[in-house]
Amino acid sequence: MYILKNAFVSITRNKGRNILMGIIILVIACSSCITLAIRNSASKLVDSYANKYDIEATISMNRQNMMGNFKPGESTQEETIEKFNTIQTLTKEEIEEYGDSEYVSSYYYTASISLNSFTLEKATEEISSDSNMPDRGGVRNERMESGDFTLIGYSSYLSMSDFITGNYTIIEGSVSEDFTSNTCIINSELATLNNINIGDMITFVSPNDETITYELEVVGIYSDNSEESITDMQSMYSKSVNTMITNTTVIENIKELDDDLMMNVNPTFILTSKDVIDSFTEEVTEKGLSEYYQVSTNLDTITSETESISNVSNFATTFLILTLIIGGVVLFVLNIINVRERKYEIGVLRTIGMKKSLVISQFVLELLMVSIVSLLLGAGLGSILSVPTANSLLEKEINSSEEQMNSIGENFGKGDRGELPNESGKGFDKMNMNGVVKIEQVSSIHVAVDITVLLQMLGIGIILTLVSSLSAMISIARFSPITILKERS
Amino acid sequence: MSVLELKNLSYIYSDGTEYVLKNISYSFEKGKTYAIKGRSGSGKTTLLSLISGLERYQEGSIIFHDKELNQIDLDHYRNTNIGIVFQSFNLLPHLTAIENVILSMDISKVKVENKRKKAIELLKKVGLDEEKGNRRILKLSGGEQQRVAIARSLSYNPEIILADEPTGNLDKETEDEIMDILTNLAHKEKKCVMIVTHSNNVAKQVDQVFELKKTN
Repeated sequence: MYILKNAFVSITRNKGRNILMGIIILVIACSSCITLAIRNSASKLVDSYANKYDIEATISMNRQNMMGNFKPGESTQEETIEKFNTIQTLTKEEIEEYGDSEYVSSYYYTASISLNSFTLEKATEEISSDSNMPDRGGVRNERMESGDFTLIGYSSYLSMSDFITGNYTIIEGSVSEDFTSNTCIINSELATLNNINIGDMITFVSPNDETITYELEVVGIYSDNSEESITDMQSMYSKSVNTMITNTTVIENIKELDDDLMMNVNPTFILTSKDVIDSFTEEVTEKGLSEYYQVSTNLDTITSETESISNVSNFATTFLILTLIIGGVVLFVLNIINVRERKYEIGVLRTIGMKKSLVISQFVLELLMVSIVSLLLGAGLGSILSVPTANSLLEKEINSSEEQMNSIGENFGKGDRGELPNESGKGFDKMNMNGVVKIEQVSSIHVAVDITVLLQMLGIGIILTLVSSLSAMISIARFSPITILKERS
Repeated sequence: MSVLELKNLSYIYSDGTEYVLKNISYSFEKGKTYAIKGRSGSGKTTLLSLISGLERYQEGSIIFHDKELNQIDLDHYRNTNIGIVFQSFNLLPHLTAIENVILSMDISKVKVENKRKKAIELLKKVGLDEEKGNRRILKLSGGEQQRVAIARSLSYNPEIILADEPTGNLDKETEDEIMDILTNLAHKEKKCVMIVTHSNNVAKQVDQVFELKKTN
């Protein structure tokens, strides 16, 4: 106990030396705190990215494989097109089979079909493209007669990526919550052209057989804000002018009425983790996916999103290591100087019978006491400085995700995200929406200095103190009291 | 009654070339003062280091209460059985006189109810009042520092007081005062007081003189 008292008295009576030591430890603690906070925040951010972005697998045409079969001189272009047309489009049953996998947590799909209409006039212009069918990886059937309008059906809100990303925005009405209703949403330009209002009925007709008709109620009008449409100065209308939005049930019902209609189905599978990508690919191949299809994922996009943050984390780690090395060396040297200065004191203590181990303990205790006070001050100062530093890294992320979530609600014509309906019993804003951020997760990492950082700092500080006081321990153990006192005399 | 006995004690420098002490035999008793005299290089300080347990001897033996000194815990021996007073005092300058005495009590783990009170008593015994006892060491004169060193050496009530040139840095008057204190410790408190000295004045005041001669 007297060791503690003696250490305390020694610190208070040798202020200059201990203040110098304290300042150095404080600087080390402060910079360690900032780098630890940045490192931890960056790591959490990387983790949150990994959580907020699901690994999505899509099945699309493998054009490379298809073109590989086209050999100039051996087959004509017509033959290749004929061969291409024999490739069957994905069916709903196939998607369900692929989705029924241990590697898949959920899946959704879109289906599109091409129809004519008795009640609508197609928006055309001389210089516009003939095709208004978006390329979604589907395949045209040779029996198909192309219609004037494209009807795209979605299986759920989650599959409506154009609304989530803001390419399409509801400007009147809203997307129906019932994904089996006979309703549709129409492009604002087409609505204006045909004087269509909310509540009007549109009659579609099969391009193969005019006797086959289908009626849908207009419940919403959307505008196309996609960059492609906005920057297309040569076109009078947006790309999606003749595209109407409905649900997959409607598309399947129409398909049942006319089996000759070509239906494009585009599935998206949410995988359980990035580790199962290869397993899922193998599984769908075993289940019979044609060689002309391929499984692609958004893994590269996710990785590139987190790369810059990972770099920040790595830089912080390197800086931390350098700080600790430099700090450790400085403390080590200071301890050597300290012991040399206090050689006489060591000699006296040893002469009056104090054991080496107790002298060492007192010196280490003094350093620990100074270190702990400096570490606490450093942690306080570091946390003040690190919070704005680390949070500035996150602020953009938080703001952008909040804005993104708010705008999603508006895109669906639901005001803000609070009014969005629940899907499958889950809160809509907690769900992963094709790259949309989970707000709760990002907000939780807003605190830069937490208990983990403090504990890490304390651990580092104590280890650093003990390592740097090794010099003192060795010197004291080697000192002979009589030699010290003779030198003094 | 012999408290410490030197038997054929020899000490050789670590390079093994020269004996500093060779075949020294002597017996020290309680209640007496001894002056260890000798010319420079005769081995006085070496003998003090060996008796105080600051160094270990190679040949012969030092017997303390029937125990070979080389075979006991010398730290414990120094903080319990022997009090050392140095010419240069060897006090801790960042502590007060009282704190120096208390620290010595702490190290020896002596059981005293009120260590501060005991320290003040010891300082008074060597002629220092409480006011001086509360001063830092560097605020005291040489004589006063030596008194503190003596008080410190008495703090755990050792049987032997070993003083290395205790009056070497002091004036004649103070030298006499210090010698009075040491003599009283031997005669009244039955301590064995050994004084390493050059001074004939000191040698005259002790009970026995043990003169060391150069080995070569």
